[in-house]
Amino acid sequence: METNPVLQNTFPAKINKPAKQRRSRTKLIDALWGYLFIAPQFIGFLVFVLGPTIAIFVYSFMEKNLLSGKTEFVGLNNYITLFTKDALFPKVLGNTLIFTAGLVPINLILALVLAILLARSSFVNNFFRTVFFAPVVTSSVAWVIVWSFMLQGNSGTINQVLQVFGIKGPNWLLDPGWAMFWVIITRVLKNVGLNMVLFLAALQDMPREHLEAAKVDGANTWNLFWNIYLPFLAPTILLVTVITVIGSLNVFDHILLLTGGGPSNSTMVLSYYVYFTAFKVNETGYASAIAVVLFLIALGLTTVQWSMRKKFSYNEN
Amino acid sequence: MSKKFSAVLVLFVVFTLVISACQSAPAATTAATQAAATEAASATTAAATESTAPVTLRFTVWTGNEAHLAMLKEIADAYTALHPNVTVQYDTIDFDDYVSKVTIQLAGGTPPDAGWLMETAAPSFVQAGVLADLKPALTSYPDYDFADLSAPTLKLWESGDSLYGVPFSNSPIFLVYNKDLFTNAGVQSPADLIASNEWTWDNFSKISKELTDKGPAGTYGFVGFDSAMFTTQPWSTLVPAIWAYGGNTWSEDGKTCMINQPEAVKAIQMFHDMTFVDKSIVPAGEKTVFASGTVGMTLAQLSRLTQLKDAGFSYGIAPLPAGPAGTPSVIGQAAIVVFDKSPNKAIAEDFVAFMTTKDNFAKMAAFFPPTRISTLDSGVLAQNNPNLDPAQVEAAITNSIKNGSVLPSHVNFAKIDLAMRAQFDNLWTADADVQKVLDAACSDTSALFN
Repeated sequence: METNPVLQNTFPAKINKPAKQRRSRTKLIDALWGYLFIAPQFIGFLVFVLGPTIAIFVYSFMEKNLLSGKTEFVGLNNYITLFTKDALFPKVLGNTLIFTAGLVPINLILALVLAILLARSSFVNNFFRTVFFAPVVTSSVAWVIVWSFMLQGNSGTINQVLQVFGIKGPNWLLDPGWAMFWVIITRVLKNVGLNMVLFLAALQDMPREHLEAAKVDGANTWNLFWNIYLPFLAPTILLVTVITVIGSLNVFDHILLLTGGGPSNSTMVLSYYVYFTAFKVNETGYASAIAVVLFLIALGLTTVQWSMRKKFSYNEN
Repeated sequence: MSKKFSAVLVLFVVFTLVISACQSAPAATTAATQAAATEAASATTAAATESTAPVTLRFTVWTGNEAHLAMLKEIADAYTALHPNVTVQYDTIDFDDYVSKVTIQLAGGTPPDAGWLMETAAPSFVQAGVLADLKPALTSYPDYDFADLSAPTLKLWESGDSLYGVPFSNSPIFLVYNKDLFTNAGVQSPADLIASNEWTWDNFSKISKELTDKGPAGTYGFVGFDSAMFTTQPWSTLVPAIWAYGGNTWSEDGKTCMINQPEAVKAIQMFHDMTFVDKSIVPAGEKTVFASGTVGMTLAQLSRLTQLKDAGFSYGIAPLPAGPAGTPSVIGQAAIVVFDKSPNKAIAEDFVAFMTTKDNFAKMAAFFPPTRISTLDSGVLAQNNPNLDPAQVEAAITNSIKNGSVLPSHVNFAKIDLAMRAQFDNLWTADADVQKVLDAACSDTSALFN
């Protein structure tokens, strides 16, 4: 037992504990203060994020009608119905795949190209950076309303421009083939600015010597891009991909306002299907099952992308 | 420390499960307690109206029309004069989202006290047990005269001995036409065809095409009901024609889908040809409305005519055209209901009884054809619409109410509507095979009909 003779003489015996106990008590007090400080955020997370997420898993095993409030435990029935008897589900899955597979590459490539083009800070470049970032901070509702007017059949801006070239454009949002195309394009244009900013930030750290050395060695633009820019940006590209994929699986307000899932359910994606089933068809149990499927898809995709990081990251140690 | 953390986590999971289980328990007993609750409520009706605690009743409607709301406010103010502690607040919810938003409010614990409800939602709401039985409050209200409510109109809202809604609007769908457009283009108007006894759906599509061809550029012969024929309200436009051709959307007992039967297909094919061959119907996506003065005809109900108050043209109304199966009239109905979960149920029921007395029915009859026999016979409809020809009011509205049937409803209407409307998107394309699309509509909804 370690005792400090000075302390023993100066302080009452109660406080004069052995050093080990004093250290663990201090640690405990520190730990408690730590928990106290993170408590508000953590409790908020438990109550508003983790709790409802777990509740969704629980509800997915029940049949809950929103209107009558009737709740019945049905086990795996919702999932069985979803995968075997739901005629709309395969279409919704297909739409989600098309939407994500269309949005993510276009968004990434456009953001990357824009970032590389606008990498150096100049008056013109800064102006265009602002122009491309402005849609990100614009209200979704305003953005969609303006686009829905531009995409109108006879009097829409797009068709009026096409008419100059003698092309008669269809009523874009009412054509099952074109509606999804425009949903993707309008969504890309809204969010590409954000990804561009992320790439711009990464490019600020790009060491100039590599570029200059490569140019001296006679590398052309394509070589520069493929052998210098890309490997350097790989971690950022991975991060942006993960964010964009998860974001695209969650897109809801955009589709609600632009096409309402139509025409003929051609733009009904999983996230919209959840809302539709819960609040239009009034089946919240079934909707929870769909939400769980969406969660698992997002989790799966994220895991796959995360495990690929070792392969593509030249910079991560 | 990680053990403690997992302990907290497990504790919270258990907490959440307990909470969710508790929430479901009361709902399961709703039906059982409803019977007991209504008896208790009616016993306390008299007592409740005597209490003086300030109460605000929330009453949901789907009209944002100023004239309608002014009339409703008049009734609310009259009630407040009698019961100073009660104020009525009207909440306008868009028609397309109405059922969905009211459902969420009921499920989310902030139920409205009373409100309007449309005929298509009647079966599902009555069956779900979320409406209060109004019969005790109505029959015990002084000078109510319950027998004055037209019995056939109550059918949708009754279940057993209970009455879950008081229909306040029994509004036939009729045709409105732009007199000036027809005169200026030299095309026979519906009035002319009625006079020569040739007012049929065939001739309707003929004059529609003629008007589109002969009228000034940008003129159309017809636009659907509420300009929503291709989107959210196909039924109000299609059903009049389907019934006139002898068909129906589904069977009366709700067990068979009938929209792919020959009669219904013929009616829908007519609209399809008008849209894509004659090009006489305002196409989907174009935001042209009848009130703009560039469309010859539309289908409407009485309450929509207030939108034409400041129209720069003179208009007339006509009954629906005749088809091979005659001229059945189509009625859109709406009722006033009280929600069972309302915290002020007894007062809300008293207000609804007040709102549907003879005097107040006469006020509502300015826009909504009444379901009180005495009010209908008193000529108040024509009185309140002085700019309409009384003979046209009689033909298009009054007679149709007496002989009409309500728009088709179904206990699964919400789901049927959504599924069929998704198929209808395929219908309104130039090269659509009408029969095939309607067959698909029936097969998509087969599980909902039985």
